Amino acid sequence: MEFEESGIGEECGVFGCVAAGEWPTQLDVAQVLTLGLVALQHRGQESAGIVTCNGDCPPIYNSLKGMGLVSAAFKPEDLLKHRYANLGIGHTRYSTTGISELQNCQPFVVDTLHGKIAVAHNGELVNAVALRKKVMRHGVGLSTSSDSELITQLLALTPPMEELDVPDWVARIKNLMSETPTSYSLLVMHKDVIYAVRDPYGNRPLSLGRLVPVSKLHTSGGGACDTEGWVVSSESCSFQSIGAKYYREVQPGEIVQITRQGVKTLSVVPRPRGDPPAFCIFEYVYFARADSIFEGQMVYTVRQRCGRQLAIEAPTDCDVVSTVPESATPAALGYAQQAGLPYVEVLCKNRYVGRTFIQPNTRLRQLGVAKKFGVLSDNFAGKRVVLIDDSIVRGNTISPIIKLLKEAGATEVHIRVASPPIRFPCYMGINIPTKEELIANRPEFEDIAGHIGATSVRYLSVEGLVSAVQAGILSQQDKDDRITDANTNSRRVGHCIACLTGKYPVELEW
Amino acid sequence: MSCPQTEPNVVKEEVMATGKWVKLERTTYVDPAGKTRMWETAKRTTRPTNTDADGVGIIAILKRTLHKDCVVMVKQFRPPMGCYTLEFPAGLIDDDESAATAALRELKEETGYKGEVVGVTPVTCLDPGLSNCTTQIVMVNINGDDVENLNPAQQLGMAEFVEVILLPLDEFQKKIDEVVQKGNIVVDSKVYIYAMGMSQAFFKPNELPVLKQ
Repeated sequence: MEFEESGIGEECGVFGCVAAGEWPTQLDVAQVLTLGLVALQHRGQESAGIVTCNGDCPPIYNSLKGMGLVSAAFKPEDLLKHRYANLGIGHTRYSTTGISELQNCQPFVVDTLHGKIAVAHNGELVNAVALRKKVMRHGVGLSTSSDSELITQLLALTPPMEELDVPDWVARIKNLMSETPTSYSLLVMHKDVIYAVRDPYGNRPLSLGRLVPVSKLHTSGGGACDTEGWVVSSESCSFQSIGAKYYREVQPGEIVQITRQGVKTLSVVPRPRGDPPAFCIFEYVYFARADSIFEGQMVYTVRQRCGRQLAIEAPTDCDVVSTVPESATPAALGYAQQAGLPYVEVLCKNRYVGRTFIQPNTRLRQLGVAKKFGVLSDNFAGKRVVLIDDSIVRGNTISPIIKLLKEAGATEVHIRVASPPIRFPCYMGINIPTKEELIANRPEFEDIAGHIGATSVRYLSVEGLVSAVQAGILSQQDKDDRITDANTNSRRVGHCIACLTGKYPVELEW
Repeated sequence: MSCPQTEPNVVKEEVMATGKWVKLERTTYVDPAGKTRMWETAKRTTRPTNTDADGVGIIAILKRTLHKDCVVMVKQFRPPMGCYTLEFPAGLIDDDESAATAALRELKEETGYKGEVVGVTPVTCLDPGLSNCTTQIVMVNINGDDVENLNPAQQLGMAEFVEVILLPLDEFQKKIDEVVQKGNIVVDSKVYIYAMGMSQAFFKPNELPVLKQ
């Protein structure tokens, strides 16, 4: 809940679509992109943008960018000029540091030797500072502070072995991947192709879907001839919204070519030194929508397992289990099931009250939180409550809630957090506060319960979280019978837990 | 005109020649100036007595989720024209049929699509200088998501050779022009007028007015 309250965000969502079969297509590509982005709205509400192409020779690109939610950013009359689109990519952006300007909005379009390309990026390059210097030393000028522009410029550099008039996009993308290890899920559009790329550590998610006729969506039928288009998205939750069947994930290090003929793997770039993959574990804990699928498992199920694990590690002698609406509900249900306790609702949320982090000082911020929630005192007056939350980062947002509950009659309020304490910054795209602000690093953490006014506070352990996440993956791979890829001798399952342990998946370059 | 006005009317109709489907008549009528004149009129022999119009024309829009709306057109060889034409699906109304029923039946036979009627125009004339043929245009929506309409199968008669063509509604006029450019095909006037109307409706309101010097 605190991630939501404090404005800690995932840095964006990307979405792409290629119409299958004959072009010009009768598929409304612009509408598919718009609806896909709406389904990824939770990954960014600051701005949205799409770039569509008619895939012709020479191709015509059209751009549409706007601030705010997709419904506000894209007006129906703006979408008119995109009616000739046969393919396109889109992006939703999260508010981070710096001014929100239209020019920082993605996708970026840039001219290269072989024509225009459009790029949409999710993630943050760990070596952005050093890379910017390197690129500028090569004579490339940069006009924004975003590293997505950096990526676009790197793709425009001609690789050494490329022929004069034949672009070698695999070589260009591999060149980019050798310059920066993580983190990026990337969509690159050129003429009539979309390349979907995931960094070798797979830090940010990316999945593929197949558009089929509405009547074939839920039947097992729907063969290759029914394919109306191919879509690629940060999260699979967008597929159901647009009538696409989930196809598969883009593998870490994979370069996928999406054309009207279909989906093809061009290359898989291995991780150096046999490193394990590093999928951001907080996608499971908080950022992703609960109905998305990663590594073959549904996010909701993983959160529920975290709740169960939390109940095993930190049981409480209590009367009722509850949560702060809504992100920790699956974990709370899991906790309640495991502990054999009833789950009740104790808070009523006013969804029209905005984020509280914009309030100028701590006291007002606490009051702001109080306005956002009302108590359902009938459900817990005179009872001992265990409240499950998915994160406590600064501790500012949970303490007013505990106060509210106690004043409304809760005899005890125990906090159980379904993730381990965050102690380290993230350089891969999550704007976690500085090390000093993180409550786990402050002296108050010794007696955090006293500090926030709770009867007791317990966190899920790192091992507990990792096992809850990996249980669903390992049980599938039992069939594969190995979790070590013999060819590259690297483990195929791994998650980034740098913000929890301080062990980063790659060397950080300054 | 300063001379007295009369209400024009038909005085006599004499059949000059009859075929199986069409007959030629000499029509004697009084013109608005009061003078009696003659006109050569072609008529169908098939007009049912209990219906208003000879036939129906169908403007059928195929609607599919996340797809552009498409107009269902038919291309066929028309002996009177001596070439192929691009028309809306159409057909004569049978005895005891309403315009709506006839439209859905003809659409199913000519194109294989199962539609729903959303509107019927009043009786309109087709070529009033030549014949008394009338038609009612029936607006039909086709639910393209329905399994029945995924792979439509035509049910044509022995002498019918009809090719179904789907054209997106938002570029209707442009697409028709492309078809015509490929040569040897004449577009039905109702189709072209509709296409021009659609262009106006879609695009003209969004065009910035240009001030003429």
